[in-house]
Amino acid sequence: MGAIEELVTELARLPGIGRKTAQRLTYHLLQQPAGQTSRLARALDAVAERVGPCESCGNLTEEQPCAICRDPRRDAALMCVVEDASAVAVVDRATEFRGRYHVLGGRLSPLDGIGPEALRIEALVRRVREDGVREVILATNPSMEGEVTATYIQQLLSAMAVRVTRLARGLPMGGDLEYVDGVTLAHALVARQELR
Amino acid sequence: MPLVITPAIVLASLRYSETSKIVRLATREHGVQSAIAKGALRPKSRFGAALQLLSDGVAHVVVKEHRELQLLTAFDVTRVRIGLAERLDRYAAASSLAEVMLRFAPPDPHPDSFDLLRHALDRLEAAPERDVEATALRLLWALVSSLGFSPSLEACVRDGTPLDPAGQLAFSARDGGALCGTCARGHATTILPVDARRDLTALLDPDAELPPLDERHAAAHRRLLSRFIRFHLGEGAALPALEFWEVQPWRAA
Repeated sequence: MGAIEELVTELARLPGIGRKTAQRLTYHLLQQPAGQTSRLARALDAVAERVGPCESCGNLTEEQPCAICRDPRRDAALMCVVEDASAVAVVDRATEFRGRYHVLGGRLSPLDGIGPEALRIEALVRRVREDGVREVILATNPSMEGEVTATYIQQLLSAMAVRVTRLARGLPMGGDLEYVDGVTLAHALVARQELR
Repeated sequence: MPLVITPAIVLASLRYSETSKIVRLATREHGVQSAIAKGALRPKSRFGAALQLLSDGVAHVVVKEHRELQLLTAFDVTRVRIGLAERLDRYAAASSLAEVMLRFAPPDPHPDSFDLLRHALDRLEAAPERDVEATALRLLWALVSSLGFSPSLEACVRDGTPLDPAGQLAFSARDGGALCGTCARGHATTILPVDARRDLTALLDPDAELPPLDERHAAAHRRLLSRFIRFHLGEGAALPALEFWEVQPWRAA
């Protein structure tokens, strides 16, 4: 396989990139000054060499432990559990949450053969037991697999003196009732809140 | 390109590109179909939360003959079985039912199996906690039977000799049921003691009362059913959901 073909094949493995887009990207890179492609190659190398999961929370980091786990201003008694490291950045950027995180590394999925032993659930239970966690917020995705993962963790933690909460499900801000799907609307109705 | 509107159940879904999903649907009139739901992952998608695993609904599919991937234009959800996600044993059993349907239902229409799957998922969702194991076993046996692999316990599956209805039973997954003493000689069989035979008979009879199964007996019945499915339907294929349900790794966790 030639160098061009090899790069096209590798780029096409990335999510959201088909073969045509991979070809376009390859030819775009070939038209750039030599320094730019070298910088890209070095950045890819650096990411692969230096970034790994935080030994405490599982978030992706260059240092051990990660910046969030090291930050003394964060509330160590508040823990947000997410499926993937990408969700840490999303929650942290978009909310006022200033506790710590725990990345499971996926969700329970019998059809894919992913059971509790494949996720960082044991590490979660250990952290809750040893780190004086007061509340665990289950922020797994609102899918069947996310739900079953959340309920499984909730059942595991039920014997421990810790509050377990789940992200609310319901209507999106800025949305219009007319266009909301029935499933979301039904959940919103079940989880309605009293106005105080 | 005919638009087909048919009752359907979402058996599996996987992300495709940034915004789309590919779903595997059990449909009542067109067997198991793969279809792409374009834009399903967009925040304002017309599919909304409809394409949850194991949901019931009415699928609008543009079907092209000889094409492996059809186009899903809408899915009017009628039931989201969120109750299945309330316990892992329930969800594991439901996933096994979906996997059996996904892998082994013929590509042509199979309304009986579709109706049975729908009924099975409803039953599993509503089953009291203590009955989940036995209910799952009964429903999986029923689905396997509806696909044409009903095990025989009354007569020897090799030579037709009627079997003593009271004694223990030599069960051969390979042969598809019980063997008489003569045929069982020299064959690998599982000996079902009287109580295990009685329980299996009850599990195979939808009108019988569910047998109370302790953990050890339930595990033995799961192994037997799993071996039966692998032999008759599996053809060496990986069946992760069935294995997950059989081994129940969450019990060790």
